[in-house]
Amino acid sequence: PRTRNPTLSCFPPCPMANPTENLDPNPPTREPEDELEEPSGDKRELEEEEEDEEDTVSNAYRTKTESLFRRMRSAPVPVRVHDVIVKGNSKTKDHIIEAEVEAVIREANTLQELLEASRVANSNLRALDIFDSVNITLDSGPPELPGTTNVVIEVVESKHPLTGQIGAYTRAEAKSSSVEASLKYKNFFGYGDIWDGSMVYGLDSSAEVGLGMYLPRLKGLPTPFSSRLYLSTQDWLKFSSYKERSLGLSLGLLSSKYHELVYTVAWRSLIDPSRLASESIRRQLGHSLLSALKYTFKYDQRDSYLRPTSGYAFSSTSQIGGLAPDSRSLRFFKQEIDLRCAVPLGFYRAALNFGVSGGVSFPWGSGYRNRASSVPERFFLGGNSSPVCSLSGPSALWGFSTRGLGPNEARRKGDVERDFVGGDAAVTAFADLSFDLPVRWLRERGVHGHVFACAGNTAKLTENEFRNFSAPKFMETFRTSVGAGIVLPVSLFRMEINYCHIVKKQEHDRAKSGFFLTFSA
Amino acid sequence: MEGDQDTSGFTLVTRKPCFGLPTACPNCLPAYIYLKLAQLPFQLAFNSTFPDSEELPYFESGTYVAYNNEDGGVIEKLEKDGIVNLDSQLQSLPDYLSLKALIVSWLEEALTYEIWVGTEGVCASKIYYSDLPWVIGKVLFYKQTYLTKNRLGLTKENAEQREKLIYKRASEAYEALSTRLGEQKFLFEDRPSSLDAFFLSHMLFTIQVLPETSVLRRKLLEHGNLVRYAERLKSEFLEESSSSPSPPLHSFPSSFSGKGSKPKSKPKTEKSEEEKKFKKRARFFLAAQFLAVVIYVSVMGGGSSDEVEYEDDD
Repeated sequence: PRTRNPTLSCFPPCPMANPTENLDPNPPTREPEDELEEPSGDKRELEEEEEDEEDTVSNAYRTKTESLFRRMRSAPVPVRVHDVIVKGNSKTKDHIIEAEVEAVIREANTLQELLEASRVANSNLRALDIFDSVNITLDSGPPELPGTTNVVIEVVESKHPLTGQIGAYTRAEAKSSSVEASLKYKNFFGYGDIWDGSMVYGLDSSAEVGLGMYLPRLKGLPTPFSSRLYLSTQDWLKFSSYKERSLGLSLGLLSSKYHELVYTVAWRSLIDPSRLASESIRRQLGHSLLSALKYTFKYDQRDSYLRPTSGYAFSSTSQIGGLAPDSRSLRFFKQEIDLRCAVPLGFYRAALNFGVSGGVSFPWGSGYRNRASSVPERFFLGGNSSPVCSLSGPSALWGFSTRGLGPNEARRKGDVERDFVGGDAAVTAFADLSFDLPVRWLRERGVHGHVFACAGNTAKLTENEFRNFSAPKFMETFRTSVGAGIVLPVSLFRMEINYCHIVKKQEHDRAKSGFFLTFSA
Repeated sequence: MEGDQDTSGFTLVTRKPCFGLPTACPNCLPAYIYLKLAQLPFQLAFNSTFPDSEELPYFESGTYVAYNNEDGGVIEKLEKDGIVNLDSQLQSLPDYLSLKALIVSWLEEALTYEIWVGTEGVCASKIYYSDLPWVIGKVLFYKQTYLTKNRLGLTKENAEQREKLIYKRASEAYEALSTRLGEQKFLFEDRPSSLDAFFLSHMLFTIQVLPETSVLRRKLLEHGNLVRYAERLKSEFLEESSSSPSPPLHSFPSSFSGKGSKPKSKPKTEKSEEEKKFKKRARFFLAAQFLAVVIYVSVMGGGSSDEVEYEDDD
């Protein structure tokens, strides 16, 4: 049963019972005041205006409301939250709901703050994704305690906890587009838990099957906890002559706006069914245990992800592997840094985007100088994604095909192709000038043009190669390309049709001047 | 092809050495011995993370690679590609094929049985899984044991019968080979052949790796001429480059037990050292975890205690 005034309503038994404290935190929103934000978004007060039979009562309320509004406009109205009452949850545990709400509500000292806090709490509860509707009401507190209010939270739990979806995505970490089908079951145990099973098939013949669990509150952890058990295969036969199969568990320990901490333990095996691999790939085939902690700090203050025109972004990812008492697990350290900057130029909505990404990966442990780094942990440059959007380390370079540059080796006799084995240190940089096109039809759809230049290089450092590493030589062998193209933003991802001209490349690089299509999400 | 080989040298990639053998895997040892019999100079490289690979051992020279799962095996592939061939003109001999069938089927089956079932995989763990992380090693070990039992056709009902049959066939094979060999140096025409490589590998493995309680080992040691043959070939071809020759095989059982105990005691001390290291590291890991938890609780606990105080003011 819905209350009459769903937003800020109150049916106190005697509204005048507090003559000393004329505080009735129940301004009905029949006349929605602009400064009063409604905590519940989906209930509109339009229906209340049609209730004519309650005119007399409503007049009294209106008088009270107006006086309260006057008070609120003039000065902060002090109020204290006495109790938080939760209704409507049959399956969900009380403490889950209270945890989302308590922190913000308890801090509010005035009515204005309380209204804002209620709005925030409402959106927090909606974000749990387990309720069909959320309704926060401010009720007057017990009559013997003046100046207090009770916050009543009414929720309607999802009637259909099982949902499914199929979509096509281009994930930042995936090398190509993929199709994903997933089933989600919400709130099975009443802890706000969301279980999902998903199957992802990538267009580069990679596949993944996974089971995930998401908990908004795990004892002691300040942020939601997520875990994922997955089985994935990635096919790199065409580029590096190996296939990677992984069975792992990843735990999202910390996930907030800027920080993310993930622990992954996985059994990874590299095989070569084609039997064409080059020598260093052959030496890497086999099983390994990955036990790694990854910390990501991301600060993205650009105005748009798909077409940034102002702002800057910084991201740093550190990964340390070998966190197990077993010295035979994969021991490595990997650091990636991304910096992006967008400068608006003021005409034709033009903007200059530039960015630099760098990364280094190195093994640790006994004999680390002579040991080869593990191939999947190395850096591979090239591919069909645009460096403007992604903040995932050095990887994208216009004009070069996937894994198309860097250290490479001859494959087994009989195959003229070469294996790209990746580098331990990589740097990429780009500059991109984007502008609106003169055609209005295209402008309205967000289609714009861009001119770009990019450069990148990667080098091997392990197996004592770092002794031969020299910065001038590294700079000399930098690959560069320039080009121009059209960008079509397609809802969730950005598609570019570019013409690239390779200015400088090294022998054996897989790059050629011509038209390219790139996707980024 | 020859040009490539000359400039880049030969490398044989096998599983790791153990129990006093240059490579302890019974599938890799024949190739090693074959190259030694042919007196071809080569390097040895190891892969200890891929116990279930069918490609090992493989021979490489520049960009040329001969995998074990092509053309019937690495030895056959090397012969076919003309790199080294000890069996020229021997294939036409009537005995050759039948002896080869005896060695690669009955004896190989007996050895496989003994490694994975007869001795319950004690040696197998050390040969194949000691360089893999514990969890992965265990899973692969159980998987391989299961697959081997399937391949040998063993079920709960017929296990005893199959075992008897396998040992009986092994005995008969040893008898036949002993008769064939006599006191000759090699199995055929006084020159080494691939059959010598296969048989010597089987013998060295059975004598040096399998424990003294092994039934197969006991049966083999009954044939003195076979043991002498193995010792002769070993000292002539396999130890010419090693600095310290191992004690002679024929002075068994003391030297066998000595040889057996040497690798046994060595692995024991190694194991206990490794175990100590492992335990120490595990303790450090747990201590670090505990410290992190304590720090976290004390830092975050400070925040929550403030809230509690506020509530008490009500």
